[in-house]
Amino acid sequence: MEMEELQATWTQMSEELDKQKRLTDKIILEMTQQKYKNKFQGITFYETIGAVICFTIAIYLIFNFHKLDTWYLMLCGIITFVFILVLPILTLRFLKKIKGLDISESNYKETILLYTKAKNRLLLIQQFGVYASFLILFTTLPVASKLLSNKDFFLMEKGWGLYAFIGLVLVFLFFFARWGYGCYKRITNSAEDILRELE
Amino acid sequence: MDREDEFVRVIKKNEGLIFKITTIYTDNREDQQDLYQDIVYQLWKSFDSFRGESKLSTWMYRIALNTALTHIKRNKRKGHSVTIDKVVLRQTELYDTVFEERIKILYGYIHQLNVLEKGLMLLLLEGKSYTEVSEITGLTPSNVGTRISRIKTKLKSKIIKE
Repeated sequence: MEMEELQATWTQMSEELDKQKRLTDKIILEMTQQKYKNKFQGITFYETIGAVICFTIAIYLIFNFHKLDTWYLMLCGIITFVFILVLPILTLRFLKKIKGLDISESNYKETILLYTKAKNRLLLIQQFGVYASFLILFTTLPVASKLLSNKDFFLMEKGWGLYAFIGLVLVFLFFFARWGYGCYKRITNSAEDILRELE
Repeated sequence: MDREDEFVRVIKKNEGLIFKITTIYTDNREDQQDLYQDIVYQLWKSFDSFRGESKLSTWMYRIALNTALTHIKRNKRKGHSVTIDKVVLRQTELYDTVFEERIKILYGYIHQLNVLEKGLMLLLLEGKSYTEVSEITGLTPSNVGTRISRIKTKLKSKIIKE
């Protein structure tokens, strides 16, 4: 099909569509009610639950920090604390930015730029979270072991069950991270192309 | 005429336009339904802010295209009932097979473009002038011209290949 044919087909289709009035007043008014739930509201809901859980653990950690009686347990405690405090805050902040985009005031170019940048930042922080969870696994275990059963993870005897558990978690994290990285690259590569074109 | 009646009139007059935008930016019926409803909802939400400074069609294109850009694809497993199911999605089924085939080819070409190009292509096919395209997209008229000629070249090469 030549360009002119594409144009002619489009015009003909538009004329046909104009003839086929199908929406009723009732349907239009129903659509204006907030039945449609913005997908970011759904994501925000789950992220907020996650953040509340993280903050609760962070508070628990603060009040029990004195139980971490060696320098290495303290270090593990601090790393875990920073991770569970900072990551949810950043995620919620970037989500707020995306939700706050004013599509009624911005033009198409501005919306592409703002939305793509905000989405990239959100993906980046989520990607960081996946990789950091490898490290956090090894700081959380000693802290949890000390606070919950008063045992020094580094000194205690470890059964095969624990090693199997850690191994399984690491395998899971490896595949999860690989899959997440693939998705991240796919989305951000196309986004970067658009940004480069516009800036 | 009250605000609701006026809005209903505007949507009825432009339902074909919303349908075309949803077809360009989605690749399955459920998503198309979602986007259709989202666009109507966003138009309703900003209906008050439309002050008549720009043309009604410019305002509609801007909101509809921006909504399509920021629309997240639905998780296919999740159900979601929308009243417009049998309304907006039957429209193209009434055509004869040859014409339907041509429409499919046309949409096939458009689906291969990136988001920016899709919007420009839509406005081009809708017969908008470079100045109007510029108002809707925020690109300068000369930039619009350059990009549209690039899109035409891109499409031409795809057409030749096939």
